[in-house]
Amino acid sequence: MTVWNGRISPVFDVARRVLLLEVEDGKVVARREEPMEGVDPGLQASRLTQFEPHVLICGAISRPLVNLLSACAVRVIPFVAGEAEAVIGAYLGGELPSAAWAMPGCCGGRRNRQGAGGRGHCYNRKGVNR
Amino acid sequence: MAGRTPKSRRPLHTGAESILESISDGVFTVDAEWRISSFNRAAEAITGIRRREAIGKTCSDVFRASMCETDCALRQTVKTGKPIVNKSAFIVNADGRRIPISVSTAILRDEDGRLIGGAETFRDLSLVEDLRKELEGRFQVGDLVSRSASMRRLFELLPQIAASDATVLIHGETGTGKELLARAIHGASPRRNKPFVPVNCGALPDTLLESELFGYLKGAFTGATTDKPGRFALAEGGTIFLDEIGDISPALQVRLLRVLQEKTYEPLGGTQTRHADVRVIAATHRDLAVMIRENAFREDLFYRLNVVKMELPPLRKRMEDIPLLVEHFVGRFNRRQGKSVAGAAPDVMALLMAHDYPGNVRELENVIERAFVLCGAGKIERAHLPPELTGRPVTVPPSSGDTIASQTQASEAQAIRAALERNGLNRLAAARALGLHKSSLFRKIKALGIVLPEADGRSRASRSSRKSG
Repeated sequence: MTVWNGRISPVFDVARRVLLLEVEDGKVVARREEPMEGVDPGLQASRLTQFEPHVLICGAISRPLVNLLSACAVRVIPFVAGEAEAVIGAYLGGELPSAAWAMPGCCGGRRNRQGAGGRGHCYNRKGVNR
Repeated sequence: MAGRTPKSRRPLHTGAESILESISDGVFTVDAEWRISSFNRAAEAITGIRRREAIGKTCSDVFRASMCETDCALRQTVKTGKPIVNKSAFIVNADGRRIPISVSTAILRDEDGRLIGGAETFRDLSLVEDLRKELEGRFQVGDLVSRSASMRRLFELLPQIAASDATVLIHGETGTGKELLARAIHGASPRRNKPFVPVNCGALPDTLLESELFGYLKGAFTGATTDKPGRFALAEGGTIFLDEIGDISPALQVRLLRVLQEKTYEPLGGTQTRHADVRVIAATHRDLAVMIRENAFREDLFYRLNVVKMELPPLRKRMEDIPLLVEHFVGRFNRRQGKSVAGAAPDVMALLMAHDYPGNVRELENVIERAFVLCGAGKIERAHLPPELTGRPVTVPPSSGDTIASQTQASEAQAIRAALERNGLNRLAAARALGLHKSSLFRKIKALGIVLPEADGRSRASRSSRKSG
């Protein structure tokens, strides 16, 4: 997952650091941080695929990069916001994707849990999870 | 920043609020904790986030701008005390679309002059960007020219695909620009300063193809008098383009699979394994899935090749590109031949748009090239087009007179031109078709003043590897 200041980095396209986690049996067994390109969105995906991740948890990510990563067999969980450690817990607990961890204005899962007024609705209809 | 602003009291009064609601620039304010304290209507419209979803949330989670992490304008303004005006960035909205914006900042102070927050104004520059592209009038990547939606998707993906080292499989009918796309990918990739080596796998028999790809050592077979590096060796550090990958034999498929998996190969006649640092782009017009079912193509090789798939649409699915392509080719041939053809006459354009181009863009390029032979300057007229497009036999050139001699000459010229066209400009074949000895044909061509283009149709191999437009 791309991180910044202890939170999920808001925009994957320019994220500077990625936290790599190895997960076995629902527990994190190894972790390390690596620098990312962060300047040219075009090189972000190639830098990420060098680490051969299976899953990417990230903030906002532009559609072309999602497509490219999906084409390289990475499962993308996008538009996630929150403290990094809390998000890790949520992922291990099978809670992602969900509206509780979604960035404002995006519903993370299939159900829309935005407010009583019902004014919020999900723009990210297509979804990119596999 | 000092102090905390209660959520109920925004640092604005109602007069200013109605102004903010009416303007088209997005405006939001943040408090000392970098949480959104106000969010105007335009901000909702540009980001696609409702006000009630934005208020109270961390600014970067809502705004999602390219500058948030390293170059936040507001952070800089707070630090320096100086406002920022028109800083360019982009935001990523909920649909994953990048929206170009320009950002300006201001500091908010209370009555005592203390810093209570910041305000950021941003303008959606998408319209400006689109207008700029319209003015340029075309979308172009490398030598590929298109305005159509399907190609634009390819263009958008291209930089990222180029940047990665993943194997690409390009699928498209003949003449749709598979090699051009491969070159464009190479040219946008980190390997751009290293060789781009195209190989037409369909043009060579299997045994020759093997030695072409992997090279051979001296003495490997009769005629191998020196070492010859293969195409993979020539492409070292760069990109290799395997065109018509569907045409290779099962034996070669196995060898290729190994190269893709292990990144190694052995030249013919040698035992030493060579390492290949080559990016592979493959292309085919065939339906490989069908070929796999027929056991004509290996499934494991397919999955190795099909890491990133790009589909080039046939020209008939993007007819809106024809005017653009005509202009592109006319410009190219004008430059090459030093002519000043002014484009296509309106009825010619109508005819061009009415054809369905089984040969796709290459066919259109040939039509224009042929027209250039007959048309030296001015506009391309109906008479310059081949019969397949006009649906009529080639018209008699206007310079013919009324005498029996000139009319016979005109008919001869017409018959010779038609025979040459039918035989791909191969003089020998045309002579045979006309029942003439080839020197008779050459004499007649000279006597009638028929102008022939450079290609003489003799060499098939060079034609099949010619670039498609």
